[in-house]
Amino acid sequence: MPYIQVTSLQKSFTLRKKRPHSFRRDKETVHALSDVSFSIDKGELVGYIGPNGAGKSTTVKILSGILTPDGGSATVNGRIPWLERKEHVRHIGVVFGQRTQLWWDVAPMDSYKLLRDIYRVPEEQWKKRLGELSEALALEDFIRTPLRQLSLGQRMRAELCGSLLHSPELLFLDEPTIGLDAVSKLKLREFLKEENARNKTTILLTTHDMDDIQELCSRVCVLGHGKLLFDGHLRDLLSRYDTLQFLNIRYASPALLPALPEGCAATHRDGAWQIAYDPQKIQTPTLIQLLQSAGTLSELSAEKQSIDHMIARMYEEMHL
Amino acid sequence: MMNLCIRFLRPLSPHSLLRRLKPYFSVFMMRFRIETQYRGAALGGIITQVFFGLMLIALYTTLYQSAPQTVPLAQTVTYVWLQQSCFRMLLSTDSELMQTVRTGGMAYEMCRPLSPYGFYYTRAMAQKLVGSTLRAVPMLLIAFLLPAPWGISLPAGVWQLGMFLLALFMGLLCTCAMSNIAMAFTIRSLDNSGITSAMNLLLVTFCGNLLPLTLFPDKWQKFIRLTPYAQLLDAPIRIYTGEYTFMQSIETIGIQVFWTCALIALGYFMWHRNQKHMIVQGG
Repeated sequence: MPYIQVTSLQKSFTLRKKRPHSFRRDKETVHALSDVSFSIDKGELVGYIGPNGAGKSTTVKILSGILTPDGGSATVNGRIPWLERKEHVRHIGVVFGQRTQLWWDVAPMDSYKLLRDIYRVPEEQWKKRLGELSEALALEDFIRTPLRQLSLGQRMRAELCGSLLHSPELLFLDEPTIGLDAVSKLKLREFLKEENARNKTTILLTTHDMDDIQELCSRVCVLGHGKLLFDGHLRDLLSRYDTLQFLNIRYASPALLPALPEGCAATHRDGAWQIAYDPQKIQTPTLIQLLQSAGTLSELSAEKQSIDHMIARMYEEMHL
Repeated sequence: MMNLCIRFLRPLSPHSLLRRLKPYFSVFMMRFRIETQYRGAALGGIITQVFFGLMLIALYTTLYQSAPQTVPLAQTVTYVWLQQSCFRMLLSTDSELMQTVRTGGMAYEMCRPLSPYGFYYTRAMAQKLVGSTLRAVPMLLIAFLLPAPWGISLPAGVWQLGMFLLALFMGLLCTCAMSNIAMAFTIRSLDNSGITSAMNLLLVTFCGNLLPLTLFPDKWQKFIRLTPYAQLLDAPIRIYTGEYTFMQSIETIGIQVFWTCALIALGYFMWHRNQKHMIVQGG
């Protein structure tokens, strides 16, 4: 049996909308999850993506035992999270990127001591684990500084340490890289990879940062309108949309662009051209030859479509 | 419900009981660290409370001069000091915990292998106990050093002191139960201002903060004495000043036990219901 098994999970919320110029409110039911099924094996690192409001966080909250679904079933390691909450949460760690679990007024170290007692981690084991984590996440500099004085990046690293102190089998990360600078992001990714490889921690990652997914996850699930739209390898997902490439060129002396074959589109900016084309239809060397026929090139670079553009196109085509 | 009862009645060995209580004890330590970090706030609190105490005593001295009351002045002064020094224990709700509900930080608390009711109860208790102890001790010292009409009197006797401390502890358990009921309301309505002001209004009136309950008309007192509010501070203080006989003190503890159990049961039931309908909004 897979480690996480989710079968036709459903959850809806009632929203109250205020009518304009009136005190009356209309009720509206939103199906956050209408029929979601998937399974995850132990040790997998899965990216869970979808536009805002797709139901990602709802899934995470159900799987971490906070919410009770309206229908369907879910088990994690054979336990039903919302019915066996206490036993279940002992084995999981959660990071909600926009909230904080550490105490605001005290240093992370003090919060870690409290977490040690809450999860009943033996002293020796706790010390060892804290040592590992504080080294991997570079916490030494600020572990004794009150949380309120830390920068966002420092805080996120401290949060992550807090979620992993009790060595959970399963880690939910809800937008862990939100608002982080490049260095912090790279460090965090490196750390997550290491944690997954070394301790076989199963990780479910929700994010809007496609680089996170590309760097970390071999498998992605795409959620939209409360339904699972794709479940598989990121490469397979992208190959469906990865049809465009770009050439950036600049002519040494002003020159007119030659007539381009069908399916190519050119845009002009600051004296340079960007040509979008489908490499399946016209080969790159052929296109370059064609462009050179109009004049000498002073600059030439090739570029692939950014992953964000692809995802945006995918969401568009799926009517999300 | 049956299930709940069985869970409570399961026998525990002393060792496993200690292990189970450790997380809750740790919450106290955390509170202690936080309180000692904000020493300025504590000092400010003490100054405010001492000022209020002196003002009230000046007021009562004038009142007694124009119209002598049945209760001796020294007793009323003692009442005022004990009220002021334990003021922080009374406040029914605390904004920090309410914020965790409003901002959804509570989602994290639900991911802990603890009973949410117990965890929040402990947090409320730690805040009230640690916060008020740190303020009460220096304040009472000041009050003992003040000259005759202004200072606090010693407890009426040894058993009164013991009984007073016991009753004060029962009052603490009772006020924490109230705090959790207010939290349960907040979880439902997401806004704590209504319930907080309603609770605080009832609280300052019926626990003797506005006017010592001993100064209310006798007929009113018979009723007010039975309300849960009177159990928090008023009852313990009356034991301290020697107004209650030994039997009356025992009776008071009985009323306190009743209210504490009733309020905890109600709060626990409300939390249990809430948990099933919990919604964590956004992000």
